Amino acid sequence: MAALTVRGLLARKMRAVLTGLAVLLGVAMISGTYVFTDTINSTFEKVFETANEGVDVVVSGRSEFDTDTGPVTQEIPESLVNRVKDVPGVQTAAGNVEDFASIFKANGDQVKTGGAPPLLFSRPPEQFDPLDYVEGEPPASPQEVALNKGTADEEGLKIGDRVSLVGRTGREDFRISGLATFGDVESLGGATVSVVTLPEAQLLADQRGKVDSVQVGAEPGVTPQELVTRIERVMPDTVEVKTGEQVATDQSDSIKSSLSFLNILLLVFAGIAVFVGAFIIFNTFSITVAQRTREFALLRTMGASRGQVLRSVMLEALVVGLIASVLGLLLGIATAQGINALFKAFGANLPQEGLVLKPRTIIVALLVGTVVTMLSSLAPARRATRVPPLAAMREEAAAPEPPTRRRKILSWALLFIGAAAVLIGLFGGGPAGQALGLLGIGAILVFIAVALLSPRLVPPIAAAVGYPLERLRGVAGCLARENALRNPGRTAVTAAALMIGLALVTFVAILADGVKASVDDTISKDMRAQIVVLNKDGFSPISPQTGDAVNRVPGVETVSPLNTSQAKVGGVSGKPFGSGIDPATFDEVWDMHIDRGPPDVLSTLSGRDIALEKNWAEDNNFDLGDTVRMTTPVGEKPVLRVRGTYEDKGALVGDFVVTHDLIRQDFGMRDDLFEFVAVQPGADPKAVQDRIDRVLEQRFPITESQSRTEFQESITGQVDQFLFLIYALLSLSVIVSLFGIVNTLVLSIHERTREIGMMRAIGTPRSLVRRIVRYESVITALIGAALGLAVGFFLGVVTTIALEDEGFILSIPYITLIAFAVLAVIAGVLAAILPARRASRLNVLEALAYE
Amino acid sequence: MENSAIVVASDVHKYFGHGETAVHALDGVTISFLRGQYTAIMGPSGSGKSTLMHCLAGLDRPTSGSVTIDGVEITTLDDKRLTDLRRDKIGFIFQAFNLLPVLNAEENITLPLTIAGRDIDKGWVDRLIETVGLDDRRAHRPSELSGGQQQRVAIARALVTRPAVVFADEPTGNLDSKSSAEVLRLLRNAVDEFNQTVVMVTHDAEAASVGDRLVVLRDGRICHDAASGTREQVDDLMRTTGIEAAARG
Repeated sequence: MAALTVRGLLARKMRAVLTGLAVLLGVAMISGTYVFTDTINSTFEKVFETANEGVDVVVSGRSEFDTDTGPVTQEIPESLVNRVKDVPGVQTAAGNVEDFASIFKANGDQVKTGGAPPLLFSRPPEQFDPLDYVEGEPPASPQEVALNKGTADEEGLKIGDRVSLVGRTGREDFRISGLATFGDVESLGGATVSVVTLPEAQLLADQRGKVDSVQVGAEPGVTPQELVTRIERVMPDTVEVKTGEQVATDQSDSIKSSLSFLNILLLVFAGIAVFVGAFIIFNTFSITVAQRTREFALLRTMGASRGQVLRSVMLEALVVGLIASVLGLLLGIATAQGINALFKAFGANLPQEGLVLKPRTIIVALLVGTVVTMLSSLAPARRATRVPPLAAMREEAAAPEPPTRRRKILSWALLFIGAAAVLIGLFGGGPAGQALGLLGIGAILVFIAVALLSPRLVPPIAAAVGYPLERLRGVAGCLARENALRNPGRTAVTAAALMIGLALVTFVAILADGVKASVDDTISKDMRAQIVVLNKDGFSPISPQTGDAVNRVPGVETVSPLNTSQAKVGGVSGKPFGSGIDPATFDEVWDMHIDRGPPDVLSTLSGRDIALEKNWAEDNNFDLGDTVRMTTPVGEKPVLRVRGTYEDKGALVGDFVVTHDLIRQDFGMRDDLFEFVAVQPGADPKAVQDRIDRVLEQRFPITESQSRTEFQESITGQVDQFLFLIYALLSLSVIVSLFGIVNTLVLSIHERTREIGMMRAIGTPRSLVRRIVRYESVITALIGAALGLAVGFFLGVVTTIALEDEGFILSIPYITLIAFAVLAVIAGVLAAILPARRASRLNVLEALAYE
Repeated sequence: MENSAIVVASDVHKYFGHGETAVHALDGVTISFLRGQYTAIMGPSGSGKSTLMHCLAGLDRPTSGSVTIDGVEITTLDDKRLTDLRRDKIGFIFQAFNLLPVLNAEENITLPLTIAGRDIDKGWVDRLIETVGLDDRRAHRPSELSGGQQQRVAIARALVTRPAVVFADEPTGNLDSKSSAEVLRLLRNAVDEFNQTVVMVTHDAEAASVGDRLVVLRDGRICHDAASGTREQVDDLMRTTGIEAAARG
């Protein structure tokens, strides 16, 4: 029996390949994701190991937890360096500054990092220095800088060239004294490294008299652990003392946890692709089992048991699944680089070198691919066992069974349970994680239910989308529609695979449009400032000194800064986001809608007060006058009193608002996110903005000013960028579903070989044969699009309504949705290319003789 | 008369494969078919009768020799022109009916016109449907028709374009004797009533005796070419030429 299965597979290579592709792509994405993130993690591990090489102990500001954008540390007084030096067993101790500073070339061009950080290091004593100066010398004077060689080579910078660094205090000029490599790490993923002397680094980082850490070398015979204990004894409790090794581990752990989000995101999309692939495998095996009815009947006549028939089909699934998984794994390893390129295109340049393939990756990829293939073919395999031996005598392949009553009830039940899960998830008021879970499970159930019900939906939709084709394209359109209707179940499942991808892009498009609409609405209604100053990338922090510089520009009435951070709040899960505002000026730049509490709550906010976002306060049971106990990222524990609640429709300030000073001091957030600028009455905002731009260009070239309209565009632009990333990730599922269409067409054409032979014999040109296949494909794709748009519309609208309180505005991106339908047509045309060619090239005589 | 010859084949050779294993399916066949003539081609298995018909009908290309249909040399036509020629000048009737299951009887009959994008002559189609006796079956799909009815649809389909010639490949091969007789009568009718030219390959002595002319092929050559005669004469001929009669239950 096994040999027979393998022979069968070989004889039907095309089908096996197309079935395999459905699994292969999903598996490739799973393994690609793992390889990608594992590689980044291992690269960072290496970076941090190198960075802490030779350092026995590190004294740094206390860090309680990482924010979503990374670890936050507090600067410590430089005077601690001498206190550390006095500890017995300390051989060397040196203050260290690590910050960010963008490099500008002499012609004024910024060295782009593609989303990677522009690192600034102070030059440590030689024994701690992780850099190898392969050309020139380390910086010795305040005017000198050393750059990493990769950056210099890429930018054509040489020793002796002049560059400027822009840190917190503005632009400073330097001369390149040396080029260095970072241990044996080849790529920092676009990150630039500038090394200057410690005082110069302190100046750029705006922390004179302060350092970020003290690096310590032990005397021979003193273990790092022992030294940690000794140093801890003389240090204030605002600092942490750790071994260098510990610091390296902590740093790479922190990268790992921030990458885990990325990992999960990618795996979710890989999972969707696998889910879509499962539909296709199910469909392919269903079709082939139906086509092989006589073969199974013959086997049964000759005494093969049901079990043997079942095992033969399952073995086929196992072989296909296993081979596809292995190939998928290999493709995944190859495309780990591709994923990197994708992220690079979307502005996140991550370092990568020496692909890491963990056993976990291999096991998960092979297991998922094989198990999914086998599970999806279980139902068709069971159907094969029910073929009666008598069927061997029948002429035609068995007609599709009409759906049973039980199946119908099951489908509707699934649909209702799925929809209910979505609604409960959205409106049930449970915690976010639970809501998301219910939404996901609900959506999966809805997809399966629609797929089960869609054989009944296919005839009307096919009639609707086939009608214009028939009118415009005559016989080809008519035959195409009739062919699609021949076996509605087959067309339905094929279309359902495409439906999933399209439903998700529709859902995402509607949500994104809602976000953009609410951002537009909030900014145009509530933003009083005419100008905002922010980082050119739109989201990175900027130096507070920018605000001071802008404040001196003629025509500027008020500059009001906004900074953000996260906190842990007693009795609340998660790490809510919040903002710091300047109470004296905030009302002049923003019209915040106060829900409860005095209307002037924000302008009278003290350092011990907090205002909460209305829904967050309700969800977490905070009332006016209540006490909020917070823990900040640097371990401060402010106790704050709730003075009011507000509406935050555009999600500008987040879950809580405290004073700017509090975020700056207690949260260790030394930078601002925005500087809002109100111009003097009578001044021309455009002229003022021009003057601001000149100042920014001169001193803070990483920042820019934006008018209200530009600000709207910049935020919606960021939403769009994220949206396109999601589209790119979902496109894999759509591609998988296209293979499904190809597969179904190829198998259907195979069944119709003789018909096509007859058509050709009586004078049907090849072009007409191709057209019939193409239109059938387009009809299938349009059915998928119709179902997908409908389901996506439902999910998107319901979710938007549920999030109305959060400021989501229901806004339907009609143009985008029409574009999706058009794309579905194009996809249908593409999917038909191969099957249509096969159909039109059939040899007429052989086709006529075909049984 | 030369101008009344619709199909002319001269010195047609057809080889399959090459070298020592080459099969000489047609070995210099020269034959012409006259307008309004009903010709039956018989021959034992492997005699080349199907190959001859495929070459005459533009479904296969002879290795050498010439075939003209209605004055057009078809052996040098490209696929596009050949397809158009089949569409416009030739009608086909197959053993396996070969109807499109998604179209009803009437749509199947008019399919060649639809493919050609030609206007449908309603009167002609109605007359054909009446002639084949399917007036009350117009809207039925092939799966709702008996074998004999399906073959009658196929005959009407072959005649609908008023082709220069109708090729029928074992048209009674899949039918019971009653349906066979009906099909043969219809073909006879087409010749007598519409002056249609019919070339039919068959195993069936009954079928062969209905025609005007009987051609017997053997080893790729014509070994008999004469007026049909009666059923008994055909049976005799079959015995002497070694043709196995079609099995009849």
